[in-house]
Amino acid sequence: METKILASVSGMTKSYGRITAIRDVGFTIRSGEILGVIGPNGAGKTSLLECIAGVQAADSGEVSFENLRSSRHSRSAILFYVPDGIAPWPNQPVQWAMDFMLGFFGGRRDLYPEVARDLNLDPLLRRTVGALSKGQCKRVLLAIALLAPQPVILIDEPFEGLDLRQSRELEGTLRKQVSTGRTLVLSIHQIADAARICDRFVLLSSGDLVAEGTLEELREAANSRLGHAPAQDLEEIFLALT
Amino acid sequence: MRSPESPWMWLVQKEWRELVSSWPWWVLVFLMGPLVGVSFISAVRTYAEASGWGGTAGGVGEAFSPLVGIWAPTFSACEVAAAFLLPFVAIRVVSGDRQSGALKLEIQHPMSAFARIAAKALVLLAGWLLALAAPALAVVLWRSYGGTLYWPELATVLAGHMLNAGLTIALAVAAASLAEHPSTAAILTLAITVGTWIISFIAAVHGGFWERAVEYTPTAMVAQFQHGLVRLDVVLAAVTLIVAGLTLGGIWMRLGVAVRRRIAESLAVVVLTVAFILLCRLARPSWDTSENRMNSFSQADEQALRQIHNPLEIEAHLAPEDPRRVDLEHRVFSKLRRIMPTVEISYVSATSIGLFEQTNPHYGEIWYKLNGRSLMSRATTEEAVLATIDELAGLKPPEEMSEDVFRGHPLAVPPHGAAVVFYLVWPGLIIILGFISHGRKA
Repeated sequence: METKILASVSGMTKSYGRITAIRDVGFTIRSGEILGVIGPNGAGKTSLLECIAGVQAADSGEVSFENLRSSRHSRSAILFYVPDGIAPWPNQPVQWAMDFMLGFFGGRRDLYPEVARDLNLDPLLRRTVGALSKGQCKRVLLAIALLAPQPVILIDEPFEGLDLRQSRELEGTLRKQVSTGRTLVLSIHQIADAARICDRFVLLSSGDLVAEGTLEELREAANSRLGHAPAQDLEEIFLALT
Repeated sequence: MRSPESPWMWLVQKEWRELVSSWPWWVLVFLMGPLVGVSFISAVRTYAEASGWGGTAGGVGEAFSPLVGIWAPTFSACEVAAAFLLPFVAIRVVSGDRQSGALKLEIQHPMSAFARIAAKALVLLAGWLLALAAPALAVVLWRSYGGTLYWPELATVLAGHMLNAGLTIALAVAAASLAEHPSTAAILTLAITVGTWIISFIAAVHGGFWERAVEYTPTAMVAQFQHGLVRLDVVLAAVTLIVAGLTLGGIWMRLGVAVRRRIAESLAVVVLTVAFILLCRLARPSWDTSENRMNSFSQADEQALRQIHNPLEIEAHLAPEDPRRVDLEHRVFSKLRRIMPTVEISYVSATSIGLFEQTNPHYGEIWYKLNGRSLMSRATTEEAVLATIDELAGLKPPEEMSEDVFRGHPLAVPPHGAAVVFYLVWPGLIIILGFISHGRKA
């Protein structure tokens, strides 16, 4: 089923001095999908997400919503980005961080009980953010992401720091979010994780966009490039295309 | 869940929680007690001795004013804290967001970066006000000893230290927003503070432009307020610098804006700031809030000087480091500029110390020109200068009015209980409050 194109990213380029993190990257985000930005470490996934969210300045490139170019400010009404590896407000209790998310960002109070239950936040609420383990902190960050009022959520490495059981449970939680009309863009470096959860994929390698599409579309692209036996899973496809 | 408030109020609440959960602020508040205590105890003891306590000749302190004897030294502890402790508190508040990654979340809110910086500055200023509870305790103790208070001068001292704190906060906020790491911001802030001291040193050696520029450094500004002098140009310049520092902080907090644009905006802010400060120099009004009118001539002399409408020109042949010039400037010319805004004072010297100019027969001369007439004098006292101006203007020297004479407030009482308050009670209380505050969140 073809879904509506919600946003288009085009010509996104970002350099740090002489190093080009992403080069002329363009793709589309479709309404109600889980889009995986896939690539090894250093592929430019984080830079891409941060440039799209306007958290850092791109050298060039734009994000359009329904063919209308967006400014950094107008983007913030539609997109919300949660980085990986941060521990915001480390001296504050998790409960306060949740309150702040809802109060400052105008987060979705109606979703709070469900999100807190799905991410098992109750045991963490009285602990300070800085005292949490990596996995616990990731759960808090995911809660922040899912409580955001914006319809499109960009999450950097959502599975990082989670154990197998938590990863599986998170997949269900994310899928539930999408079923309510939300759109998720996830940057994932574990291709197996991405293959399980994402509807479509954007493959990045060394800052370049290698391919974009569903698993089937990528398989076709890989096979046409290989010219022999079809690549089976996403890992093989990725290797074939990069 | 809390009831909804405006996003800005949420931010203010967040900044406040971040401030009271940061150890640097508690260290600042903790140290304010002993710092103020040392200054206050020493000042009260000296004041008491000069007033006749401990067998010294009574009456020495008859002309003593608590402003210079007690409040200037007591509040000088705030200057030390503002220079060496407050910057770290401010840097912690700004850099903490960057270090923890909270900034990347917060900047996605459409609120302007300047509103965000304003929230931080407001909370830091509130934190500084709380730290000023230590000198406020000194005021309470002074009253309990039977000391007199003249509220306008005390309020002026307080205002000077609030402005100084504002300057420190603005500088630290700008540095913390510019620098990637808090230690870089700390080095940058301290370098600028030391830079202002270097300007003071250059001004003392070279005079001229530097002498004018140094009036806008925090140290000189605080010194003026500590003497009960409020100059509109200095206040406007300080406010301009505070706004500029906070604006720079806001510019560099916008991580999503291209660096080139941020540099261009910063340059525009610097140019505008310089232009504003140059304009500030045109604001001449000033107010002497000291009880003993230490920044003013006697009312009779001022009335006489107001009768002179033509421009008075003064040319003093004295080197910048000559003590006579320092006396002349601080005790006479600074008062003259307040009452005669059109007076033009210039200094002439070939060297900075003047020691080797003594053989020049013109060295030490002070020339006064008014209405086409000139007079020369070498005297540098207030009385002699005023007498020369009166003679030049053809005015009869005014008689001294008895109500003009400040009789002073001697107080021969030692600082009873101050050591216990500042060295035991204050630090103990702050430690307990600090641990309670941190314990609540743990």
